[in-house]
Amino acid sequence: MKTWLRRNLFRTWWDALLTIVFSGVALWAMWSVFRFVVFTGRWEIIDVNLRLLLVGRFPKESLWVLYGVVIATCFWGAAALGGGKVAGAREASRSEQLFAAVRRFGLLVVVGLLLVVLAGVRESMWFVVAVVGAIVLGLQVKKWRRSIAKLRQIPAVIWHVALAITPITMMVLVIRSADVQLWGGFLINFYIAVLSILLCFPLGVLLALGRRSSLPMVRLVCATYIEVVRGAPLFVLLLLSGVALDFFLPPQIDPGPVFRSVTVFTMFTAAYLAEIIRGGLQSIPKGQTEAARALGLPTVKIIFLVTLPQALRNVIPAQIGQFISLFKDTTLAGAALSILEMLKISEAITKQDAFLGRGYIYEVLAFAGLLFWVGSYVMSKESQRVEKKLGVGQR
Amino acid sequence: MSESVNADATQMSGGRTDSDAIVVLEGVHKKFKDFSALKGVDFKVGKREVVVIIGPSGSGKSTLIRCVNRLEEHDKGRIIVDGIELTLDIRNIEEVRKETGMVFQSFNLFPHLTVLSNVAIGPRQVRKMSKAKSEELAHELLTRVKIPEQAEKFPAQLSGGQQQRVAIARALAMKPKVMLFDEPTSALDPEMINEVLDVIKELAKDGMTMIVVTHEMGFAREVADRVVFMSDGEIVEVGTPSELFDHPKDPRTQKFLSQIL
Ligand SMILES: Nc1ncnc2c1ncn2[C@@H]1O[C@H](COP(=O)(O)OP(=O)(O)O)[C@@H](O)[C@H]1O
Ligand SMILES: [Mg+2]
Repeated sequence: MKTWLRRNLFRTWWDALLTIVFSGVALWAMWSVFRFVVFTGRWEIIDVNLRLLLVGRFPKESLWVLYGVVIATCFWGAAALGGGKVAGAREASRSEQLFAAVRRFGLLVVVGLLLVVLAGVRESMWFVVAVVGAIVLGLQVKKWRRSIAKLRQIPAVIWHVALAITPITMMVLVIRSADVQLWGGFLINFYIAVLSILLCFPLGVLLALGRRSSLPMVRLVCATYIEVVRGAPLFVLLLLSGVALDFFLPPQIDPGPVFRSVTVFTMFTAAYLAEIIRGGLQSIPKGQTEAARALGLPTVKIIFLVTLPQALRNVIPAQIGQFISLFKDTTLAGAALSILEMLKISEAITKQDAFLGRGYIYEVLAFAGLLFWVGSYVMSKESQRVEKKLGVGQR
Repeated sequence: MSESVNADATQMSGGRTDSDAIVVLEGVHKKFKDFSALKGVDFKVGKREVVVIIGPSGSGKSTLIRCVNRLEEHDKGRIIVDGIELTLDIRNIEEVRKETGMVFQSFNLFPHLTVLSNVAIGPRQVRKMSKAKSEELAHELLTRVKIPEQAEKFPAQLSGGQQQRVAIARALAMKPKVMLFDEPTSALDPEMINEVLDVIKELAKDGMTMIVVTHEMGFAREVADRVVFMSDGEIVEVGTPSELFDHPKDPRTQKFLSQIL
């Protein structure tokens, strides 16, 4: 212990100084957070407004479907993506597994508990338990599929469709159970982000391919689009979408603010994504295309079977980074298009009679920030894992 | 047209070859910007013939065999493979590529696919074979190149020699009529060269038509029906291994051989 300390923390007087300074900073930060959470923070504002913050004016009688979606999706995600050792890694012992699990989920568990305590979700405890249960069950199902011969024979397509049916039907139910304009809070941030991510990904791929096309007109259009969109501030585009979209649509159609924002986020993120993917494509050696051509593969198959999969894998971190910014930027939609998303609601509830003019904004923003942080953290961590899993045998 | 081509080939190709020419080049020119890499190459390869191309670096050997499957586009002259002339028509090009297998100096395996998928991708995607059939074929070919046990690994987990053998299996999976090798052992550590050359020798024994660019003179002597010496974008001299190695006529050939032997 003593030698470890000496070797790692206090090797020279300069190291020692740095160690002490940084420990001091860390301790001070931890203490400030702790004091705020436990002593000075006035969390009753979250407690009272929790439903508003999370789902806005989403009708109370349909809430159970929403809960269902979250639980079913957690199960699905765990069963489809989760678990699975990184191939090639040796069997880990129990204690190593435990250590890895703590490292992977420890921070999340702490934050989750924090959220539960802060928001006083005591009566919603069953929901937290259900989510955790769904994830554990999903991981187990995934393991069963690996180990039980009968399950392994089910083709991957059928297997995944079967698993996905429940959450997807429930999502459709949710979307139909309440007009999207009624949705609000974190739910609408999440919805806008997910929808935009799903839409911007194919668009980004097409733009990247277009910018590398051998046809000059295609190249020109894609390059212009990318450069114009990347040159504009997102907030300006959001403000503009309140008006500009109507130039392209027949007058009887009003897409409503949510879809206006989804359009902007999709188009904006696709432009950045296109550049990221283009970089990935450029990093693929020429020999790959040549080998595929020599086999007689047609151009489209070369792109979709050989170069694009490698390119996408090489730029996973940058892509996820872009998705994370998109997720956080959904908070701009409130100010620009008067969507009652998390930030807008956070601000609004501080103006309720009980809280007005007493500086509750800190607590509310801390809570909102925490939720976004959890989302971003999960995305970034999971992407690292997926990357490792796909990176098997890479050069 | 192809009739006359075939008649010519009978006279051109000697040794143990069959009658028809399968690869025909007539007056092929290739320029990179204003640098002439090929300056009028006339050349025929008969069925079941093994032709080895030698020559100093930069003499146009790679350019020549890359023109045969259109990885490079020639500027002038005609290239006919198995009766199909290479023109701008993409269908002809893809047809020729189906009939020719190529093995590169740097292997160029697909790193995101398993060894098995690397071999199966051609027949599956180009020849529209079923998944099961193409994988069966892939297993067969991996056995033929003596690495059946590596099927589920990824290329990066194999040694250079093993990777190059997978690359050969991948090319063979298309059941090509001609195999093109561009310095297949130049990127290998010395101890792995022979395992790859042995596989190529066996192909020669089985009667595969091959064009091989190589610096392995012992190998050339053993398997080649004809050896072609290239220099400065031209074919300088053609002959049987003993003609070319033991009694080179052209001073450039003599100089090259004296440098490397
Ligand atoms: N893509 C290219 N662009 C420009 N010059 C090239 C290209 N490919 C080959 N060359 C030139 O053509 C000549 C012949 O090249 P190559 O066929 O690769 O020779 P070898 O394989 O005999 O070493 C060389 O001088 C080389 O620099
Ligand atoms: Mg070369």
